[in-house]
Amino acid sequence: MPSLISFCEWVSSTPFSIAIHKSPIYFPVIEGIHTLGITAVVGTIAVLDLRLLGLIMKRRPVSSIAREVLPWTWAGFAVMFITGILLSIAEAATNYYNWAFRIKLILLLLVGLNPLIFHLTVYRKVNSWDVSNVTPVRARAAAICSLVLWTGIIVAGRLIAYVNM
Amino acid sequence: MFLIFCHWLARTGISHIMRDSTYDFAIVEVGHLLALAIFGGAVLLVDLRFLGVAFKSQPAPELARELLPLTGGGVVAMLLTGFFLFLGGPLRYYHNPAFDLKILLFVLALVGHFALQIGVCKQGDEEAKYPLLVKAAAVLSLLLWFSVGLAGRAIGYV
Repeated sequence: MPSLISFCEWVSSTPFSIAIHKSPIYFPVIEGIHTLGITAVVGTIAVLDLRLLGLIMKRRPVSSIAREVLPWTWAGFAVMFITGILLSIAEAATNYYNWAFRIKLILLLLVGLNPLIFHLTVYRKVNSWDVSNVTPVRARAAAICSLVLWTGIIVAGRLIAYVNM
Repeated sequence: MFLIFCHWLARTGISHIMRDSTYDFAIVEVGHLLALAIFGGAVLLVDLRFLGVAFKSQPAPELARELLPLTGGGVVAMLLTGFFLFLGGPLRYYHNPAFDLKILLFVLALVGHFALQIGVCKQGDEEAKYPLLVKAAAVLSLLLWFSVGLAGRAIGYV
């Protein structure tokens, strides 16, 4: 049975992976765009999170901010995802053993569950608290989870390079 | 003149701390990235609003004002953490062309973006008087911030 590590080693041996990995231009440029993609995701979602916490844009309904912000969060996510796949292909074998990379993947999974739970539960009744300054406890908890998890993702992401050194 | 200042900075105690410890640098660097995330997302939304593609339900000046804690605060946080990163090797950065480029682009982006904000806010909440000019400036601002980010990443590779 083929294992994940042999798959990662196979990916690393493909010309495509080597081309990104070896190039003095491709890797840094993709990495730079990846960072800016994360910036777009985290920065836009933080606007919604900070509104849920009642810290900014208090007079605006939560649902209208969510409507305006989330398409851009998803656009940033697409950039981050595609460039992230490319970077993972370039460093597949080294990243397999990288604990920071593993933590980042786990945190990404968790940060994906958070809005899923949020939208299926407390956000369904958003009409009843849309304009209130103080949002329900569960909405504030979701906002704090989002901010903490994304912070963790940025920290772990930066650490990948320190661990690979 | 600036070189003399860099030499002096390099001799300060805090510069030695930033240079000798692996973790101090990494921690400040992560702080710099977190500030960038908060700032970058907010500035993206403001510029996209000026461009007329995001937050259309809200007047541009109002959005710019409401996000000022994030855009303005983000700049301050990036400058502070950036200064400490600079202390990690003042002479190294002095001789790094990517660093020069980043600072040049940063100053252009900073002045350009906030001049645009002030200009739009002065027009009041009604629709912009020079919509094309504002849109062109917003595109320019986005391109400049994008290049600041890439030049910043290049510092570590040069």
